[in-house]
Amino acid sequence: MDCGTCETSGPVQVMTPEVVNVNLTISNKAQEMLGDAFGDDRSMALLVGVLSGGCSGYMYDLQIVEETDQNCQEVNIDGFRVLVPNASSHLLDGIEIDYVDRLMGGGFRINNPNAESSCGCGESFS
Amino acid sequence: MPRVAYADAALTVWQGTDALQFIDGLSTNKVVDLAQGEICRTVFTTSQAKIIDIVTVFHMGEFLAVLSHKSKLENLLLHVTPRILNQDVSISDVTSRNVFGIEYGRQNENIGIFQSIDGITYGHITSSLSFLVASINVKCDFDEVEKAFHQWRIENLVPWNGYELTEKNHPLASGVNELVHPQKGCYIGQEVLARMISRGRQGKMLVRIKNDDVEEKFITTRGETTSLAIVRVRNQ
Repeated sequence: MDCGTCETSGPVQVMTPEVVNVNLTISNKAQEMLGDAFGDDRSMALLVGVLSGGCSGYMYDLQIVEETDQNCQEVNIDGFRVLVPNASSHLLDGIEIDYVDRLMGGGFRINNPNAESSCGCGESFS
Repeated sequence: MPRVAYADAALTVWQGTDALQFIDGLSTNKVVDLAQGEICRTVFTTSQAKIIDIVTVFHMGEFLAVLSHKSKLENLLLHVTPRILNQDVSISDVTSRNVFGIEYGRQNENIGIFQSIDGITYGHITSSLSFLVASINVKCDFDEVEKAFHQWRIENLVPWNGYELTEKNHPLASGVNELVHPQKGCYIGQEVLARMISRGRQGKMLVRIKNDDVEEKFITTRGETTSLAIVRVRNQ
């Protein structure tokens, strides 16, 4: 097998989507829950990313981080630092971060106007 | 043993720390546990669970070699590359550097691994079917005509790209049920396939059937007296 890794073998051209300036909102309930999670330490940030996978092809990825090595844009909403990776900015422009208060299936939820469909659990979209 | 050229094969090299997880998250079989020296087949499917392509993943250690099909490579790459985002995955097309073959009818016990012999990599898919990949600089003869291979496929109920494995069918109807892992996590098309499996309603299935017993439109590979056909399952 000639894998081409010994020599320079050009990678397949990957279409890189245009980076957009993300507008996003956080519902009052979600802000309240984030406030509980962050406490008084507002140096931490909420990283809102997208991973491949899930029933619909993309999965949301929410993390509380201090910093990240990903190339991100930072949005400040009512004192909360929100980081959005540029690579997934085209998928996240216009989202609302909400919080659903339910015993089963509750937690942070993202309402995404860019999603054509999403799976039942709300974690995956296309 | 019979050996035919695999003219429609394509080979891509997937590198990066996320490559295995990336394939696992987008296809039907559990690939994430694959170890160096092992091979695994899996199917990329649409959200309607229709086949985009069936691929064989060779775990080469530093990278993954993915054997797919030239006729479907463009669609496959259109499907996967927008989903790389900021994951550590890069893909190179090395098809033109290699020749590909199929060896069939030989009993081997090394299913699920690959071996290199005289510069040829043999990926043993089943006990009687192996894929061959060799550099174009390696002498690799193919001595059988393709017709005999397709007759062998009919006798052994082996589905093939472009015949049974097409974008019109889902993996369960195409006879590759063993590539749909029942317990892995979510992937595109999983909801549809999981529903079919849990309800016992896969709609269609691959059968070997006498030519006189089936309408022509259902035949996917025609043999002299028997053929492969995808037919609707009764009593579902």
